Amino acid sequence: MDILDQFYFLFADFVEPKKRIFVGYLLLSIVIAFSWLMFIKRFTISNALARIFDGKIFFSRSAIADYKIFAINRVISSIISPLLVTQLTIATGIYFALHNQDFIPSGYYSDVSKTAVVAMFSVALFIVDDFTKYLIHRWMHRMPLLWAIHKIHHSAETLTPVTVYRVHPLEGVLYATRSAVAQAVALSVFFFLFGNSVSLATVVGVNVLVFVFHVTGSNLRHSHIDISYWPWLEHIFISPSQHQLHHSVAEEHFDKNFGAALAVWDWLFGSLHLSEKDQDRNLVFGLDASERTSATDLRTMYLTPFVEIADIVRNRFRRVRANVAAALTAHRRKGSQFRAKARTVFGKL
Amino acid sequence: MLRSILTGSSVLLMSTALAGMAHADNTYGPFPVTVDGYKGDKTNSVSYSGQVARHVLSDSLKKLAGKGDGGSNAKDLHAQMLLYFEGSKDDLPVVSHKGKDGFAVKQASLNKISKGKNMSGKFYDGAMPAWPGGMTGKQAVLHMIKQASMAKGGFDPNTGYDYPQLISKFALGAMSYNQAVDNYLDEKLRADKKPNNKPYKKGAHYTGKEHSWDEAFGYFGAAAHSLSLSAGDNIKVAKMKDISISDANKDGVVDLKSEMVFGNAYYAASFDKSGKTEYMPTIVNAFLDGRKLITSAKGKALTDKQRAQLQAYAATIATNWEKVLAEAVFKYAGSVYKDIKAITSAKNDADKAKAYRKYGKHWGELKGFSMALQSGKSNLGKTAVELNKLIGYGPPTLDNTYVTGVSADGNFKKDRRRSWSDYQLHMLKVQKLMVDAFGVKARVNDATGDLAKLAKEMDKDMNAETD
Repeated sequence: MDILDQFYFLFADFVEPKKRIFVGYLLLSIVIAFSWLMFIKRFTISNALARIFDGKIFFSRSAIADYKIFAINRVISSIISPLLVTQLTIATGIYFALHNQDFIPSGYYSDVSKTAVVAMFSVALFIVDDFTKYLIHRWMHRMPLLWAIHKIHHSAETLTPVTVYRVHPLEGVLYATRSAVAQAVALSVFFFLFGNSVSLATVVGVNVLVFVFHVTGSNLRHSHIDISYWPWLEHIFISPSQHQLHHSVAEEHFDKNFGAALAVWDWLFGSLHLSEKDQDRNLVFGLDASERTSATDLRTMYLTPFVEIADIVRNRFRRVRANVAAALTAHRRKGSQFRAKARTVFGKL
Repeated sequence: MLRSILTGSSVLLMSTALAGMAHADNTYGPFPVTVDGYKGDKTNSVSYSGQVARHVLSDSLKKLAGKGDGGSNAKDLHAQMLLYFEGSKDDLPVVSHKGKDGFAVKQASLNKISKGKNMSGKFYDGAMPAWPGGMTGKQAVLHMIKQASMAKGGFDPNTGYDYPQLISKFALGAMSYNQAVDNYLDEKLRADKKPNNKPYKKGAHYTGKEHSWDEAFGYFGAAAHSLSLSAGDNIKVAKMKDISISDANKDGVVDLKSEMVFGNAYYAASFDKSGKTEYMPTIVNAFLDGRKLITSAKGKALTDKQRAQLQAYAATIATNWEKVLAEAVFKYAGSVYKDIKAITSAKNDADKAKAYRKYGKHWGELKGFSMALQSGKSNLGKTAVELNKLIGYGPPTLDNTYVTGVSADGNFKKDRRRSWSDYQLHMLKVQKLMVDAFGVKARVNDATGDLAKLAKEMDKDMNAETD
């Protein structure tokens, strides 16, 4: 690999429209941020520019750690990705299994117009994808074993679009598997029902709905520009502000706004928190000291999850062992009581 | 000026000579007579007319199998079919390759190709568990012939059996493939069998090894000039579409003995047309290289090294040939899958009947090829058991019953039912089995092909965005 190839390998995501940090989406995010600050927040041009390109944020120690993690994860992912189960394997399995039921034969709706099928598939895939993201994200916060991994992402003390890559490799594996399962379910069910007319409505090779999500500033979720929506809209779509609030250290913001694009899941399952007035002045990002991780030290970030997972498993095991021992003692005690009783009964005979 | 004319003409002469050599290089024959002490007037040692006669017998048998009127002509038709299967003292007319306007065929009767040939003497007679009734390969085809004579137009809607397809596809394996890979490219390559320093039989103008090799080539069914044709053109030759492609020697008529593409070779070319395989050139090249090697021995016994090389060519042929049959099983499993979709979504009875007839035809091809695949040299073991279990003795018919065996009186038993969805799943599994066991690449009618294509487009990776 020559130096140019290596460069491309590291930064390929910036020129890939399937990725959130595609340079086009980043530029659009700047335009959106600029317009927000100018027209809604009434900043002057120079103040708006200074706010957007704030060196204290982009060159903070936390952001620099993000950039390093971005590069390291790129290498790790190139090694692990080929080993992961593909959506084709899962989709084929589900597609085969769907033939085991006789209620609906395969291709039963194959005469539905292609346009309708493509539209339905694109929407269904977006919804399934978004819902599974919500679900996994919620688990990541609620289950200690997963939180040990996910807190690396939350250790960021400043948010930049690259923070989306600030994840432990184990989380990468989990998310890739989730993505494979979500796509496989949508693919196989649609192929079974509608046959070969299934395909995706795309713009620059991306599901049109995902494209809309990206061009409307998905990158601003991880940023210091707190764009909020009208309250009613924040019940439907997660605004950048709502996601920033998700990163807040304040206790009242814990376990809120797990959603990716849609807020309806949070609304439905009671984890929705609307954005707050002037929240950018009040929000502090990161974790409190009890979380035993670091915003800047890579070794801590990469290794601590393994240590914590081992601790959790060990503690669970100890607890199970203690419970089993207690149950056995109780059983033995009962046994000896029974024997004593039997002796008194049979002894009389 | 004179010098440049001289140079020009010598270049022209050279290139013509080279072109001529290249053509000869690409063609299976003629090859010189190398038999030591041969006194006759033959100059070309290539001969496989017996195999061509058998292809014509088989294809004619297929035509006849579709001529039943549902019972009244059964006896006559059965007798007539047996003449083609078991051979006849009298000359028989060519039924399958009669030629047509603009496509004249040189031979109108079997004896003009080769005298006294039959299929029965060269038909696989080992166990054939794929067919109900615990029969051998030969017994199974005779059973099919009998049933065909009683069916209307060769199709029995009650069992779903399409006899012309069943018989012809089975014969591609049980006769051609079996004879080639289990006899001529196997036993006859041994040092003590049909040696190269003796004529094949007394007085013959070809040696033991030359003729054994030619016979195997004949069974494959390629035209002598197939290698110089594209996959598409080889298909046109088989379908008698364009005489200018078939008639290699430009004498105005198509010689079935060297200018026709039959059965297995046709299927090899049809899969190559996908652009994903090269079965036809691989197999024909191996035949050609083998023949050149034998010819180069100039009538002397082959050395161990030469025989080892020949066996390597034979292995290439056998492996690729087996893949061709597996590709056909894959293809027709996909067809059956699609046909079931058409049957279950038919809007009216007429559409349903039409879809069911097509389904029967494709199932016959599937079953025939699956039996062909099991007629070769290698014991397919578990793969065969699995394949037979998935395809079953018969397809689900319109009331979802299917053939489960043959009763003592020789009739088919249909005492179980199978749902359409369940059978579709079986077809998917058949396709998967062909990929796993034989590594088929052309994958025509891949029932999950579009699923795979879209899945590949929607790639995911480990850095899937997280929040």
